[in-house]
Amino acid sequence: MALDKRFIGREYGPFTYTIGAEKLREFALAVGGARPGAGTPGEPPAHVSPLLYDARAAKAGPYFDLIAFPSFAVVFAVRPFSAAIADPELAVNMLMLVHGEQELEFLDVMRPGDVMTTTGRIENIFDKARMSFLVVSSESRNQTGKTVVKGTWTAVIRGG
Amino acid sequence: MPRTFQPGDTFTHVRECDRYRPIYYAGASGDYNPIHIDPEVGKEAGLGGAILQGLCTLGWAVEAVAVFVGDPGRIRRVRVRFSKPVRAEDVITFQGKVRSVQDGLLTAEISATNQRGEDVLKGAVVEAFIG
Repeated sequence: MALDKRFIGREYGPFTYTIGAEKLREFALAVGGARPGAGTPGEPPAHVSPLLYDARAAKAGPYFDLIAFPSFAVVFAVRPFSAAIADPELAVNMLMLVHGEQELEFLDVMRPGDVMTTTGRIENIFDKARMSFLVVSSESRNQTGKTVVKGTWTAVIRGG
Repeated sequence: MPRTFQPGDTFTHVRECDRYRPIYYAGASGDYNPIHIDPEVGKEAGLGGAILQGLCTLGWAVEAVAVFVGDPGRIRRVRVRFSKPVRAEDVITFQGKVRSVQDGLLTAEISATNQRGEDVLKGAVVEAFIG
């Protein structure tokens, strides 16, 4: 069943998220290919930048602290997108849903202790080739009010 | 001497989706959609088993450029279309090509193909500050 276009413009949020050092490390190493175990995010593969997991190296580096791997932003910036997908009024068939497209813009680095506030809205709903497309935008600001991450999230629901 | 980047420069980054990577990524990202962690649900959804989170593949495309420019903090933008699922034991080759270098901003086009030569991403573009 096609999604109802009258939900275009619906807003979600604000959602607040505090960035923690261990979570940054865990994410960077999971993307980077480490094998986590109980009590450890795993051994960093050689290609993973120490700026992402080694606090001492990072403090001596260009950002004076650990930084997030850029796409760590999805951990909090996804909230409006997941809220839209789970919106009972929109009634998305989760089993038929795949993530179609993604754009992320990074306007600053993210460090432990940053408090991110994310808002978002449904930008578009359309049908193409027997599939429904749901496009949600997100904007995440840090504790100083600076916009740090902008996202465009596109879900494809097969079978319309 | 600082490194210089030119349009036409190329780079390659290879990543294997080891068996439990979708589960590790689920733990780190919070994306526990059953199609990523339960092969039975993946089959039911017509995906032939559990598939890797597209955002992990996006992360690898970002990583390819972060390694190339030498600093993950310089990534400015990423845009991808997910064209084919990545499954356990797939090996993804990311091939990057610098399209432009302008006002301190490097723009790279990235292809991402599995071991069968199929594109798992389409239209992937990553930008990084190099100024």
